[in-house]
Amino acid sequence: MTLADFLVTILLGAYPIGVAAALGARGALGRGLVAGCGLAGALAGLGLGAVCLGTGIVPTVSTSLLPLTGFALRVDGLSAFFLIVVGVVGAAATVYGFGYSAAYEGRYSLRLLGAMLNVLLLSLSVQVMADNALTFLMAWEAMSLSAYAMVLTEHDRPGTVRAAHWYIAVTHAGFAALLAMFLLLSAGDLTTSFAGMRSASLTSGTRDAVFALALLGFGTKAGIAPLHVWLPMAHPVAPSHVSALMSGVVIKMGVYGLLRVTIDLLVGGPPWWGGLVLGVGTVSALLGVLYALMEHDLKRLLAYHSVENIGIIFIGIGAGLMFQSFGLPTLAALGIVAGMYHTINHACFKGLLFLGAGSVLHAVGTRNMEEMGGLIKRMPRTACFFLLGACAISGLPPLNGFASEWLVFQALLGGSAIPQPEVAVVMPIAVAMLALTSGLAAACFVKAFGITFLAIPRSLRAEQAHEVPWSMQAGMATLAVACVALGLAPFAVVPLLASSLAGLPGVAPPAMEFTLALPLQVPGASGQMSPLLLASGLVLLLALVPFALRILGADRRLRVGDTWGCGRIGQTPRMEYTATAFAEPLRRVFAELYRPTRDLSIDFHPDSKYFVQSIEYRSEIHPWIERVLYDWPLQGLHRAALWVRRLQGGSLHLYLFYLTLAFLILLAAARWWR
Amino acid sequence: MTMVGYALELAQAALALLLAPGLVGLVRWLKARLQNRRGAPVWQPYWELAKLFQKEVVVSSNASWLFRVAPFVVFASTVAVTFLVPILAVPLPFDGVGDLLVVVYLLLLGTFFLSLAGLDPGSPFGGMGASREMTVAALAEPTVALAIFALALSAGSTNLGQIVARTMADPAAAVSPGHLLAFGALFIVTLAETGRLPIDNPATHLELTMIHEAMILEYSGRYLALIEWAAALKLLIFFSLLGNLFVPWGVSVVLTPAALAVAVVSLLAKLVVLAGVVAVLETRIAKLRLFRVPELLSVSFVLALLAVTSSFLLR
Amino acid sequence: MDSVFSQLCVLGSSLVLLFGLILLWRRGVSAYISAFAWQSIVLSGVTVVVAYFGNDHELYWVAACLLLLKGLVIPRLLRRMARRFAAERELEPYVNTATSLVVSGLLVLFGYAITRPLVALSQLPTRAGMPLAMGLILVSLFVVISRKKALTQVVGFLMLENGLALLAVLGTYGIPLIVELGVFLDVLMGFLVMQIFIYQIHETFESIDVEQLNRLRH
Repeated sequence: MTLADFLVTILLGAYPIGVAAALGARGALGRGLVAGCGLAGALAGLGLGAVCLGTGIVPTVSTSLLPLTGFALRVDGLSAFFLIVVGVVGAAATVYGFGYSAAYEGRYSLRLLGAMLNVLLLSLSVQVMADNALTFLMAWEAMSLSAYAMVLTEHDRPGTVRAAHWYIAVTHAGFAALLAMFLLLSAGDLTTSFAGMRSASLTSGTRDAVFALALLGFGTKAGIAPLHVWLPMAHPVAPSHVSALMSGVVIKMGVYGLLRVTIDLLVGGPPWWGGLVLGVGTVSALLGVLYALMEHDLKRLLAYHSVENIGIIFIGIGAGLMFQSFGLPTLAALGIVAGMYHTINHACFKGLLFLGAGSVLHAVGTRNMEEMGGLIKRMPRTACFFLLGACAISGLPPLNGFASEWLVFQALLGGSAIPQPEVAVVMPIAVAMLALTSGLAAACFVKAFGITFLAIPRSLRAEQAHEVPWSMQAGMATLAVACVALGLAPFAVVPLLASSLAGLPGVAPPAMEFTLALPLQVPGASGQMSPLLLASGLVLLLALVPFALRILGADRRLRVGDTWGCGRIGQTPRMEYTATAFAEPLRRVFAELYRPTRDLSIDFHPDSKYFVQSIEYRSEIHPWIERVLYDWPLQGLHRAALWVRRLQGGSLHLYLFYLTLAFLILLAAARWWR
Repeated sequence: MTMVGYALELAQAALALLLAPGLVGLVRWLKARLQNRRGAPVWQPYWELAKLFQKEVVVSSNASWLFRVAPFVVFASTVAVTFLVPILAVPLPFDGVGDLLVVVYLLLLGTFFLSLAGLDPGSPFGGMGASREMTVAALAEPTVALAIFALALSAGSTNLGQIVARTMADPAAAVSPGHLLAFGALFIVTLAETGRLPIDNPATHLELTMIHEAMILEYSGRYLALIEWAAALKLLIFFSLLGNLFVPWGVSVVLTPAALAVAVVSLLAKLVVLAGVVAVLETRIAKLRLFRVPELLSVSFVLALLAVTSSFLLR
Repeated sequence: MDSVFSQLCVLGSSLVLLFGLILLWRRGVSAYISAFAWQSIVLSGVTVVVAYFGNDHELYWVAACLLLLKGLVIPRLLRRMARRFAAERELEPYVNTATSLVVSGLLVLFGYAITRPLVALSQLPTRAGMPLAMGLILVSLFVVISRKKALTQVVGFLMLENGLALLAVLGTYGIPLIVELGVFLDVLMGFLVMQIFIYQIHETFESIDVEQLNRLRH
């Protein structure tokens, strides 16, 4: 049995054992077994992906055992890459979950949580390895349902059930689109392998329909605007390691599906495909970050940032698709590689941030940033990890967020090669929007980290916070190391990504060897950089400056005193800046988009209008996309449903009469209708 | 990568570090003269730095290790940028380490940590400064990116050395509408990023009108010295970028003493000219309300967008 | 031989149907339960006849189960329930007695019309009884939708099961044993569930008038 087969066996076997362990064992042993099996499976997937990318072998699995006939798995380059994504975040999340779910003991069902966690990881792994539509769709459903079950874990908290409803409704709408798409692609037979679908010849109208359905179906899962409304509802209410998995991996399945269908099965298409993906990506990126800025619920802020980063990934992929349609294969590969690089980077740093937010939630008991503060002294390691994640997501060099954003910029800068200027001009607009997004993201994370961790605690619970157990720290540390490694070594990562695209017919990635040449030189890119040298330079300077100061004889005294505050005496938490205050200038700048409601009521003294007794000010921001695109059709649906409800008389006899009537009609029809 | 190359890089960085406070002093002196005052001498900032280095540091009890590390991060990132920007000569040996995008984001790294340090002591002025600074930085980003795009389009690369070399090789490109518009856009961004009027008043005493000053209100002693020095260095970097990217003549292409001397002189000349322009502007224009700043930045954005489209169409 | 067989079958099926019509004629619950018990006994008799003449030994077991379960166990449980609920009488059904009997006659005719192709196609000597079994099914459905008391509806449901079993025995000499056992189990389970429901209805409304369930709406 080769190494690859061995890893496949472990991958497919560890998770069912985890499910059994979750349902059977109790307490710390149960949690430990669940985490252990999940970790084993994730590491097996990671290993399998690395082996397949490194050696180029393509293992396949198919079986004819009764419930699973028609299932076929095939691990090609793209699958291997996404297995690595699943493996990295899965490993960190399961280890973290061991410590995190201890808080659920006795209050919520740990057995369901542990079992569903393993089911989710299994379905994610099977999905990226799927070789026909049947396997893919079954794994997709399993993924959606297990995620739904886990979102409902804390079911007695307000908003959880509503969030889960939205999640399952939108995800099933997406599933319907995907089913239709696969039926079109495979001409009705869902067990056609992907190879068969690739070689099928479809009319251009069918291809356009397939693309539109793919964008719709995979877009609902990925969370692009305007299909993203479930994301900021569902991700915050799930347990934090599940949020990390959902934001880090599950939404990437939308990216995987889109890549698989457009460049693999459809082998590229007209420019408007890439343009649509690019446009949708740009809008999602901006909308995501703008709404994230206004949030003061820490996990909902992170969820909106997921929308933003998916937008960035789609920008890279859209650019790649556009280049492909114009016959520029090197630039096409650059765009897609940039999108894929951002995929794994986002999985790592978003996973890290969600685990950090989970640690904060675990310690403080609330997600509301306005009640936090001063946690950097009480939870020093969590604060370090969160700071690393915040720097990564803001795209600060030399971390991984910067590396992939740099690559996306380079892909967009290649837009000058497109022969039609009126089409090519979308690239600089995308560049500008991407830059605005990353600037706003940096602002948002100054707010998120600063208000949550710095200064003085704003509530009693924040004062009493303490560091989280070692398993949670280990999960965060794993992802932090991954962020740093991915950021410092793009010269290693990019050739691997290029090789993962090598098997696909639509793109022609350059044969980039894995060299240790430190500057990242990508064919097609118009610049080079070396984060490793940059990082070493920064570290060197950071060490040299204090040393130089000491040599030059600078004064070394340091005294701790009160905050000066321009000569004010005393500092209370009420005097600190709040999250809402921090974001207020940007709120004013973008007021046309936000349309905040304003409610001001002033109570005057009964005797005189010049004396004020109390002032109440209320301002809320409701995302207008929900209002316009969702509320209105939903109200129409509700009205129609009320009308149909009249059939429901409430009388048991009426219903039995309906049954009998239907039965009689059926009999008569069977007898007399030809 | 020869020893001469390393020496050049070090010399460049050292020169930048040395000249930066003097540049700030020059701007102040010019402003004073324009306002009919005598003004402090041009080398006053050097004495101020020396004084700060001799003073004791007082740190707020609410602050954490971030407050103490931030000045070093800001200083290190700004100094790192001086290694990447062509101040004296092209091609730079470190050209492959970072291009224009890296420079922009390294400066953002410094701003990020400085904003966090503003929030750390818990004072509302620090929070206000941090919030305003990040707003201005975020809104200036698209302009910078588009300006880079315009320059990279004509030069075919985002590496700074390449851009300078290309402009030197083709003087007509320097007066192309794309370049001029990009220069205008980048000039406004310079004012925004370095905290000069009309966006921020570096000489104000009123906390509610501060952006950069409000963030560093709690700093003292050597930390404050490092931050002030980094701010001056940032001003010098932006001026060198404006000068050497758009009017590159004087930058030496060969590493001979004569060429380097010419490079130093031309650099000084460009710095003096730009300092004069900024001084005149600061004297003539009043500070904008914070909520009028986005309007100014959108003007710069439009200039950059026009720069890009004209580069596209006149290729 | 065959004619004796088919005549016995027709006789048995008619008896079964007649016992079913008692549900539409009498008012008291104890009458219903007795009718059901006798109906089940006759049904098991028909099954024995078919087993003897058709040489199918599995059907002996089926008959035994029928007798035991539907002839003894379930009627006993039903009587216990009836005692508990003070033997309410079906006083005002939705459709009055005369009209119900007329409608059931029409339903039996309808059953004849429906099963004509089946009878024409079948070669078995038992085929003459099939329309009667179909008639029983339809009549039981009618009982369920037109009677108000929950106990009556339960008995109607059980008679429906009897009708289906009769149809299966006459049409194909029974269904495979394992399926038959499964059906028995289903009937038992269904009955137990309905028992619980009736208790609950009585708890909530102090009567087993199913129309009261309408009050639960909104």
